[in-house]
Amino acid sequence: MFVGSRLSTVLLVLAAMIVLWYVATTITGLVGPARLPQPLEVWQSFVAIATDGYGNGRLHQHVLHSLKLVAMGFTVAVCVGVPLGLWMGHSRRAEALINPTFLLLRPIPPLAWIPLAIVWLGLGDAAKILVIFVAAFVPSVINSYTGVRNIDKPVLEAARMLGIRRFSFVREVLVPGSLPMIFTGLRLSLQASWTTLVAAELIGALYGLGSILNQAAQDIYPAMIMVAMIFVGICGATTTWLLGQVEARAMPWRHERALQ
Amino acid sequence: MSAIEFKDVCRTFRRDGKDLLILDRINLTVADKEFVAIVGPSGCGKTTCMRMAAGLEFPSTGTVSVSGKQVIEPGPDRAVVFQQFALFPWKSVHENIDFGLRAKGLPETERQKIIAHYIGLMNLKGYESAFPHQLSGGMQQRVAIARAYALDPEALLMDEPFGALDAQTRVVMQEELVKLARKNPRTVLFITHAVEEAVYLADRVVIMTSRPGKVKEILDIKSVRETENWDQHQKIEDVMDLASFVHLRSRIWKSLREEHAGDH
Repeated sequence: MFVGSRLSTVLLVLAAMIVLWYVATTITGLVGPARLPQPLEVWQSFVAIATDGYGNGRLHQHVLHSLKLVAMGFTVAVCVGVPLGLWMGHSRRAEALINPTFLLLRPIPPLAWIPLAIVWLGLGDAAKILVIFVAAFVPSVINSYTGVRNIDKPVLEAARMLGIRRFSFVREVLVPGSLPMIFTGLRLSLQASWTTLVAAELIGALYGLGSILNQAAQDIYPAMIMVAMIFVGICGATTTWLLGQVEARAMPWRHERALQ
Repeated sequence: MSAIEFKDVCRTFRRDGKDLLILDRINLTVADKEFVAIVGPSGCGKTTCMRMAAGLEFPSTGTVSVSGKQVIEPGPDRAVVFQQFALFPWKSVHENIDFGLRAKGLPETERQKIIAHYIGLMNLKGYESAFPHQLSGGMQQRVAIARAYALDPEALLMDEPFGALDAQTRVVMQEELVKLARKNPRTVLFITHAVEEAVYLADRVVIMTSRPGKVKEILDIKSVRETENWDQHQKIEDVMDLASFVHLRSRIWKSLREEHAGDH
């Protein structure tokens, strides 16, 4: 019931926005076509890129390419960042060792890495993956670290009292205890991945949603810009939703209702 | 052999560059299978005593030993029941009790037998697969007590285990702990600030002074309880009405009251 009514609310709001858009651009002409394209134009651009292609490829090729870069950068960042954050949270020595470097690197915006990434790895995908990695890495580390620090001290003491050691401690205490914050980190990392991807693809990319934006800007083709923007939104929302599904399954204890 | 022994234990904390004496030459022995409660004004270091027996803190001078071995780290031979339960929120009731048994390396069949036994004893039947947050505070503390008893420890260390519970639940838990302790005698060190609770549960009550904590006096409850036969009464309020109980309680009260007066 709840899910159904929420979905219908979302659809209703979307429909209202499109109607408003239609009224503003097509019916009344309040917003001129140079500023905001009409819904019909955007639809036609969508059909054009989906069937005939635009900027070196068809829509699904661009989308898949962007998805692939995000998936790779995000996955590597998470696989390195989460364990590093957990380690820093658990061991004072690791924190003392890593934190100074981390504090220094942290304020550098991921986009500032683009020039260096290009110098190191050229204009290809590798440079873009590196930039996405840098952007996604930081929230993964920080939130995993905070996750460990947020575990109730008595719970950690109880684990020591029970004689829980090493592997079992990491797997059954440290990780599940930090999991809520780890997932907060993953969500922020994913968001950062998409933001950075588009920026990275604006520079010298053959495929990808960012390259469509770049190409359409050069062609002064606002309707195509909107198609690309909408698909960035759809991709970001879909991957975030997927992550939410994983999160719910990973922490069943948070979703069971109270008894009695 | 004495199960828990504090020998000339002092504990200082460093605060604002000054050494603050928290515990002053504590000498206390808890005999095997004896239930000893420590009462004292807040800040007197009674919890620190328990934590030193657990191996979660250490004396500045002196030694704490359990079953003749000096305590150097926490371990399942000294099971702790924490005031805030300290269950693993991501583990079910069954898994919470099982966790320590697995760490001890007990075989599956034996673990299942032990868990079933304590689930029955602590009235947790039907809740085996529930997560802690689905249970009331009283039930969560029952799980924590079951987890501690299931370890079959040489000493049970309880730090105001009923302090976080509402009054009604606390009474029920006190009655259940008495039943458990009489049926299943263990060495228990029980920290509380509730005088009635100490008199009702313990064989001996240790009264501590305010900071720096010293052992002020030790009262023998067990001999009174046995000669007056408290255990024939099922309900805590019936025991609490007995003249012998009232007498002991007011004695401890007066002793503690002197400590509070000393504060000002």
